[in-house]
Amino acid sequence: MQTVSPAQALLCLRGINKTYVMGDQVVQALDGLDLDISAGEYVAIMGPSGSGKSTLMHIIGCLDGPTSGSYLFDGVEVADMDEYELARIRNQKIGFVFQGFNLLARTTALENVELPMLYGKRKDRRERAIYALERVGLGDRLDHRPNELSGGQQQRVAIARALASEPQMILADEPTGNLASRQSEEIMQIFQELNDEGSTIIMVTHEPDIGQHCKRLVHIKDGRVLDDDSVEHRLVAKEVLVEMEAERVRELQIKAARNAAANTLQEVGGLTR
Amino acid sequence: MNLFESLRVSLRGLVSNKMRSALTMLGIIIGVAVVILVVAIGQGATQRVTDTVNSLGTNLLSIFPGESHIRITAATTHAAGAKSGGGGGGGRSGSMTLLDARLIAETFKRTVDAVAPQVRDNVQIRLNGKDSTTNLTGSTLDYPYVNNVEVDRGRYFTQEEMDGSQKVCVAGMTLADKLTGDPTTDLTGQTISINRQSFKVVGMLAPKGAGAWGQDQDDVVIVPITTAMQRILNRRFINFMSVRCVSPEMMPLAQEQISTFLRNRHHLTPPFPDNDDFNIRSQTDLMERQQSVTTTMTSLLSIVAVISLIVGGIGIMNIMLVSVTERTREIGIRKAIGATPRDILMQFLIESAILSLIGGLIGIGLGIGGSMLLASIGGWNTIVSSTAIIAAVVVSAGVGIFFGIYPASKAAALHPIEALRYE
Repeated sequence: MQTVSPAQALLCLRGINKTYVMGDQVVQALDGLDLDISAGEYVAIMGPSGSGKSTLMHIIGCLDGPTSGSYLFDGVEVADMDEYELARIRNQKIGFVFQGFNLLARTTALENVELPMLYGKRKDRRERAIYALERVGLGDRLDHRPNELSGGQQQRVAIARALASEPQMILADEPTGNLASRQSEEIMQIFQELNDEGSTIIMVTHEPDIGQHCKRLVHIKDGRVLDDDSVEHRLVAKEVLVEMEAERVRELQIKAARNAAANTLQEVGGLTR
Repeated sequence: MNLFESLRVSLRGLVSNKMRSALTMLGIIIGVAVVILVVAIGQGATQRVTDTVNSLGTNLLSIFPGESHIRITAATTHAAGAKSGGGGGGGRSGSMTLLDARLIAETFKRTVDAVAPQVRDNVQIRLNGKDSTTNLTGSTLDYPYVNNVEVDRGRYFTQEEMDGSQKVCVAGMTLADKLTGDPTTDLTGQTISINRQSFKVVGMLAPKGAGAWGQDQDDVVIVPITTAMQRILNRRFINFMSVRCVSPEMMPLAQEQISTFLRNRHHLTPPFPDNDDFNIRSQTDLMERQQSVTTTMTSLLSIVAVISLIVGGIGIMNIMLVSVTERTREIGIRKAIGATPRDILMQFLIESAILSLIGGLIGIGLGIGGSMLLASIGGWNTIVSSTAIIAAVVVSAGVGIFFGIYPASKAAALHPIEALRYE
């Protein structure tokens, strides 16, 4: 178990409760959860569906407040902030990446990336947006609309949008849930690079492979932290991608060899006849 | 987010749904266009009434037979010289005589300049197998002077012709048109048949154009009043008399003198004016009456137009509500990345305000175009007032904002998570 003193933690959650009323049932989504995350960490929050990990994500992301408990973000209590203050924190300090990308349709990549800065009254938002898109390798796709981009590219636009206003943490909710394995790996590579450059990244996922790219794994069950460990055999996306490429080349070679063999057999058959 | 950026975001939302935006605007377009058109027609009509009254002269008194609480219809039709000149509208018609008129002119020389007693009715006029139903006015030699009528070809009839009840007449331009098919025809010297009696045309009237109510003042034939009363209409009493006072200042005094005179002559008993058997109206009274009718019409039509504006506003609200539901996810995204409720409220409010404002501007264009069209094709008198235009802009923007408030606040109140989950 890792222990971080609250003083140096970026996030400090204590005794977080969250209850929902669904019909006549009261659902306890989070049950006295404690969690600390420091700046520069790369954390995966994992757990089965219904474990409360999405609810936790929403509270960490200031999209929703806890029913009770204390949440210090960057030393500021946000548990009882009003909508306007929460909106400001989401805008200035948090970058979101969603499973469904959540880009505005009929709006170019560049404008999508500019959007948070539009609400944040940033002056140099165009330059920042272009820089962020170049950072995720989409410098040549600025004027493309979401429906003209692949899923992986859309998610990279979303990451650029999260990055552009230089938030204190990036919050990713199942960022690879809608992507093929190769595209997922590319997203993971971007996250690892960002983390290496000092960004704090918190990611919710239920895929163990994806979790292995992080530095720390937090398992949630029934609204509590089940266990909290650092990752021992960490996957490096760059290496995985190289491996994938090698695998692909190998498969192509095998296929080519098979075809060659089949052709040879045919020729031999023709000669013997 | 500042206003300019909100404007951009809202415009983008509208442009991405052009057809829907256009249809939404339609209600406002129609409403505003109708308001402008109606006000233009109303003001045009008022202007025409004023012009007509001014052309008749402001120091004119009109005296009708009948009770004092005279009906508006009687007053207005007489004053405007309409076709229905017959049998004293309202009250008793048999009270004023030719002698009354002559005595008034002779007695009150200091206040009264001239008097033109008149009888009026519609008659059948024939010439060479063509016929026309036209307004016949029987009057005296003072009629052209009192009523600002001019003879531009031939002559007016003479004292001798009137004394002898001779069958002579002066014709209007429209009558000439109806009888010969050409309004410029000079009928002077020809013989026409009025109610199957032969009349000699001695002159043609200068055209006067349409009256205050759009009726044709040139569809008229004027004969000596003696001829009209004895030979054509067989009447003992007159319909109406126009009294020209020496100056506008003398009008109240003249009115007073004439009232007293007629009461004495007709042996009327008090209380007055309840027991009067005549009615005196100045041109200003008539103008006010006519204008009040015009104003009533204008305000009625304006109410219809305002209702259509409100319906248009409800249309906007309806579409904005649909739009909010349709764009729930977009609202969720915007909120998640830091839009405040106020940002969202402004976005939707500006959208609906723009819709109705653009609709209002198009409506103004259509309204002005429509009133110009009515003026050039229909010959209506229309005046587009800047007040109506400003009011239309303010009202349409107001409608947009008012009916945009509910959908916009609904959007602003959406919870980010629920909005994001919305499919």
